[in-house]
Amino acid sequence: MRAAIATLFSFMALVPLFAQGQVANAWRTPWGDPDLQGTWSNQTLTPLERPRQFADRPVLTEAEAAAYEKQLVEAGNVDNRNPGTLQDVNLAYNQVWWDRGSKIVADRRTSLIVDPPDGRIPPLTPAAQTRRDEDRKASDSEKFAASWLDFDVYSRCIIRSALPRLSTGYNNNYEIVQAPGLVAIVQEQMHETRMVPLGDSPHLPSTVRQWLGDSRGHWEGNTLVVETTNFTDEARGSTFQYATKNMKLVERFTRVSDRTIDYQFTVSDPGTWTRPWTAKLPWNRIDGLIYEYACHEGNVGLEHMLSAARAADGNK
Amino acid sequence: MRLTHTATTAALALTLVAPAALAHHSFSAEFDVNKPIKLQGTVKRVQWINPHTWIWIDVKKPDGSVEEWGVEAGTPNTLFRLGFTREALPVGTEIVVDGYEARDGAKRANGRDMTFPDGRKLLMGTSAGNDAGSKDK
Repeated sequence: MRAAIATLFSFMALVPLFAQGQVANAWRTPWGDPDLQGTWSNQTLTPLERPRQFADRPVLTEAEAAAYEKQLVEAGNVDNRNPGTLQDVNLAYNQVWWDRGSKIVADRRTSLIVDPPDGRIPPLTPAAQTRRDEDRKASDSEKFAASWLDFDVYSRCIIRSALPRLSTGYNNNYEIVQAPGLVAIVQEQMHETRMVPLGDSPHLPSTVRQWLGDSRGHWEGNTLVVETTNFTDEARGSTFQYATKNMKLVERFTRVSDRTIDYQFTVSDPGTWTRPWTAKLPWNRIDGLIYEYACHEGNVGLEHMLSAARAADGNK
Repeated sequence: MRLTHTATTAALALTLVAPAALAHHSFSAEFDVNKPIKLQGTVKRVQWINPHTWIWIDVKKPDGSVEEWGVEAGTPNTLFRLGFTREALPVGTEIVVDGYEARDGAKRANGRDMTFPDGRKLLMGTSAGNDAGSKDK
């Protein structure tokens, strides 16, 4: 009886620790760090911002979620043609080449944004609104581009997009590799690797700017916390959502099951948003490898767009 | 809850607009919305490259001469993961391309809709894609 009581008290003592994520879980590297290694995908149909029709509905029921998923899949089927429109041209090619998935996030939230509570990106500052408008104009004038410099970082095969990364139309795949004191995060498209030193080393001097910024990581319990600064605004699309290069990104990676990492990010930039905001989306394990995406190797699209712009010069 | 017409429209707008921004580059900067084209020809070679696959076909003209056309398609990584390789589209296969001509007048088009002559989709695939993590849900 005494042994049984002792066992019970031992178990009760463990409960709060489990709740705080402080107890060693099943996923550990040989040197004792939480193990995030493997291949993952952040593919989801859940939009970043909560659609207006769900303004008062942060979470759907199972039946609602199934109906919503069905609608999104049908609406996103690019085999639905609307010939003779710019939209039809930009839908590019058959559905088989795309890989958007058919599911919203498993907890059935209507937005990836969890803060602010309305699930929407906070208002842009006036300066950020100006940057947004200029970027839209630049995008519209790509047809008359004078140089490769007029295209964004994605078209130029420099980086997939500014950090943090969201789910897109295809190739939403990542691989995480760890070593003592270091975490590497590879994104399949465009085969970029983020190196995240762990510990308390300072960021690079503010004069050093990089496409993927400068990341520093540390563990909080089982969570990898990565803070990234030192972004650049050197090319179109090199900053996230019209942010400035002074944006600060804090990401949190927590392994919650054999096949899932909870991924959460917070962005703050007083020059862009009236307050910081946070989004959460799962990274789900994929069975298989990351493949090379040698973007520069076959990026003839850039050459063709410039050739088209020169052909259009006479028609301005 | 019954999803309203407004909800449906918003969802349509969300997903139909999104791909334009998500393709590797602006297709309307490369191809001409005013020049829709239908091509029928045989596969001559397939460039299985990133960021876009190119399928080259020989198109026989009414006068009997043959023109080579390049057709831009999607990234091969997605198909490879589904088990397709470039051998899935052998040289000599007859295909039909419904797309838009290049703005610079070259013999290139985007493969907006690619089928076999009997209407079957080129490269069978699921309309829903390959859901990561769906086993957990």
